[in-house]
Amino acid sequence: MLIVESVTRRFGERIAVEDLSFEVKRGEVFGLLGPNGAGKTTTLRMLGGLIPPSSGRVVVNGRPFTRATGSALRARIGFLTETPGLWDHLTVEDNLIVYARLFGLAQPAAAVERVLRLFELLDRRADRVVLLSKGMKQKLALARALVHDPEVVLLDEPTANLDPQTSRTVRDLLQHLRSLGRAIVVSTHNLDEAERMADRVGLVSRRLIAIGEPSALRREMFGCRLRVRLSGKPAAGGLIEAALRAGARDVRVEADGLSMIVDAPDTGAPAVIRALVTAGGEIREVFDEEPALEAVYLKLLAGSAS
Amino acid sequence: MNVRRIAVLVGKEIREFRANPSVIIPVLIVVVLCTILPFVVVVVVPRATGQSIADDRSMQQVVAAATGHLPALAALDAQTAAEAFMFQQFLMLFLMAPIVGAVSLAAYAVVGEKQGRTLEPLLTTPVSTVELLVAKAVAAFLPAVAIEAAGTVVYLALIAALGSPGVLATLLTMRTVLLLGILGPFASLAALQAAIAVSSRVNDARSAQQIAVLLVLPLAGMLVGQLSGLFYISTWMLVAASGAMTAVWVVLVLLSVALFERETILTRWR
Repeated sequence: MLIVESVTRRFGERIAVEDLSFEVKRGEVFGLLGPNGAGKTTTLRMLGGLIPPSSGRVVVNGRPFTRATGSALRARIGFLTETPGLWDHLTVEDNLIVYARLFGLAQPAAAVERVLRLFELLDRRADRVVLLSKGMKQKLALARALVHDPEVVLLDEPTANLDPQTSRTVRDLLQHLRSLGRAIVVSTHNLDEAERMADRVGLVSRRLIAIGEPSALRREMFGCRLRVRLSGKPAAGGLIEAALRAGARDVRVEADGLSMIVDAPDTGAPAVIRALVTAGGEIREVFDEEPALEAVYLKLLAGSAS
Repeated sequence: MNVRRIAVLVGKEIREFRANPSVIIPVLIVVVLCTILPFVVVVVVPRATGQSIADDRSMQQVVAAATGHLPALAALDAQTAAEAFMFQQFLMLFLMAPIVGAVSLAAYAVVGEKQGRTLEPLLTTPVSTVELLVAKAVAAFLPAVAIEAAGTVVYLALIAALGSPGVLATLLTMRTVLLLGILGPFASLAALQAAIAVSSRVNDARSAQQIAVLLVLPLAGMLVGQLSGLFYISTWMLVAASGAMTAVWVVLVLLSVALFERETILTRWR
């Protein structure tokens, strides 16, 4: 649905985004993850056709962005910008109706009604935007980005300024959009949000450092750490040896059991567990101890910087 | 260029003016002043001083010179001719009124969107730069011209009420129609488009306003030149000037599009 091919963007001598390539399929939420100044907003602006890449191309539903196709392609994209950018003196409804008409909708009033209902803004429709809270403004900006029911949705920090409850609403909405087959790109530096919202994440720091499912990235960087809880005090020496023989590495003794890295968890973990049982271990519980995405993020960024 | 999208944007601007009517006040003040000022000069001051403007020697000379261009003046008595001449000259003020008043609206047009951070979301829609900039100029133009038209009607009604008999008939000519109905609107549109071009290049409304208001100078020159008898703008000159203003407007639209740096506005505006 959305293909980014070797996209580079320069501003004078400065390179903001370098040789970025990825693809977002229908029904997929792609998280663009990176620190401030990593080029996330510039990337989104290129994806939305607001600024052209210096080289490379962006393809939406088989059509590359060009001067000739820009207007038509923008009509298929919903873009939540970094700041809500609402007209403060107009009402909630007027803000939406202008956009519905600019997108050329046949029934703008019905479309506005739909998003007002979706974002629970119906009772605020006649209020001027200046009277809304930050969170309400962000909800309205989201409603505006979706008023024309776009095929591609680009969201720049969608949960910024939102309270936990509204953030939850936004995440639920993303799942709803995903179920409708929309291709969604979410930029954030909030790792928890990325993990909760995205099917795949791309870690950017000017260039694409890593891409994949959050769990796969973790595994790639740290392997899979298995935690084994044992009944009674573990007979550490024998069990460690058994685990090591079964293919585990970096085996550590914890307060209530052991933890270890198993490189191929699907086949390796059962073998390790069998070995521990055979060695006399009384196992109460076994689970994957996944490192936080933050650890992956920091490790990748540190690797990129070096 | 999509006219429907321009109409949507103009509608949005008009809604903003309605929601915040204070932005229209400068246009209103200028038009009210333009309507009142001629009556102060032609009616109030002579009555207060007990001296007719027709008695003034330099006025007599100017009116005599003007009969070459305005033969209708020759058929009027001295007082009526002097009043008709003066009211005719002051019509030029109505050319400037919408520009002076609306230039602040136009100057704020793009700067305001930048300051409110509302420009980027707007640029995510299918709206093109030319549609955006034409809409901004037209949106400033429409209320200004509407107020100017209302001012003109009041001006003519006051002439009928306060002027000598026969003065109003002298003013109701093709020249007046051309001046206020065609040259005025196109001159306004061109000036406002220039203000929009300035607005898209500067970072605050005051700079845009200060630069844009200079556009009134040529029209002020025309007014002073006519009042002093230096030259007279004939009907044909008005037709030519109207055509020229239309062409100037088109050129200014193209220029403002060329000057509108979408990327700079998006990436460097903070």
